[in-house]
Amino acid sequence: MNRERFEELAQAYGGQVARWPESERDAAALLMAAEPEYARRTLAEAEQLDAFLDAWRPKPASAALMDTVLAAAPKPRREPRWRGWLMPAGLGAGLAAACAAGVLFGVQLEQRATGANSAGAAVAELDLSGLSEDV
Amino acid sequence: MTGDPDEALLARVAKGDPAAVRALMARKLPRILSLAQRMLGDPAEAEDVAQETFVRIWKQAPKWKPGEAKFDTWLHRVALNLCYDRLRRRREIATDAPPEQVDEGPAPDRRLLAADTSVRVSGALQRLPERQREAVVLCHYQELGNIEAAAIMGVSVEALESLLSRARRALRGALADMVER
Repeated sequence: MNRERFEELAQAYGGQVARWPESERDAAALLMAAEPEYARRTLAEAEQLDAFLDAWRPKPASAALMDTVLAAAPKPRREPRWRGWLMPAGLGAGLAAACAAGVLFGVQLEQRATGANSAGAAVAELDLSGLSEDV
Repeated sequence: MTGDPDEALLARVAKGDPAAVRALMARKLPRILSLAQRMLGDPAEAEDVAQETFVRIWKQAPKWKPGEAKFDTWLHRVALNLCYDRLRRRREIATDAPPEQVDEGPAPDRRLLAADTSVRVSGALQRLPERQREAVVLCHYQELGNIEAAAIMGVSVEALESLLSRARRALRGALADMVER
């Protein structure tokens, strides 16, 4: 970095090298090490304006502003009331449906078992009748 | 994760977490208020801008898409747009003159010196062209990096540097008499 660039940066970004563009800081540090007196003078000049700028302090937020800001903020999400009773109702309906399905399945199973037995009996009868003919 | 320090807090704000809402307000309100005060030079108008900015933050929080933009950058853009709306309105009603500043006279009392400097600096900053003022506000007061400040302003880094140089030169000229004090 040459002197001209060092001055340009001080002129634009002020007397604190930490506020200069990151990409320029290493080169600036080298120049500061090589020419400490020149660098000190240049930065001091820029720092004077920095100090003036820092003398202007903004007014803090008023309590009224903070209240207004908070009043408009998102509120915690609450589950709608209907969800409170819908959940148990849904659960109950589910259980009832499961019971009904169980009963239906049981009845069908029983009917099938009964049908199978009667068919088996008929087959046995046929076999027996066949046997009796052969005998 | 994008490394945006505000992202996690925003997600909680979106759910209406009261602690997160307060934390975000504590983190951003002073920054936005300071930005608006320095851009507008009028504390009452600055409060209006800060309030409007927060209305937009609360609306945006549930819609915020992580990784698309840095929240602080978006926030500065919103606040600056609101400031520019007000500056435009001032021009439209032909009252473009900066807010009344206390006439700076000699300040024999040392306690008055700081207040006097503050008023002088405020006045000098208000007299800068808007874009130069914006550059100083973003880089010096808001302490944004040159790349981020240039992105917010929609200019190149070189253009930002030029705006800053001209602004600081003008400010030095305006405050030259204070150097001898």
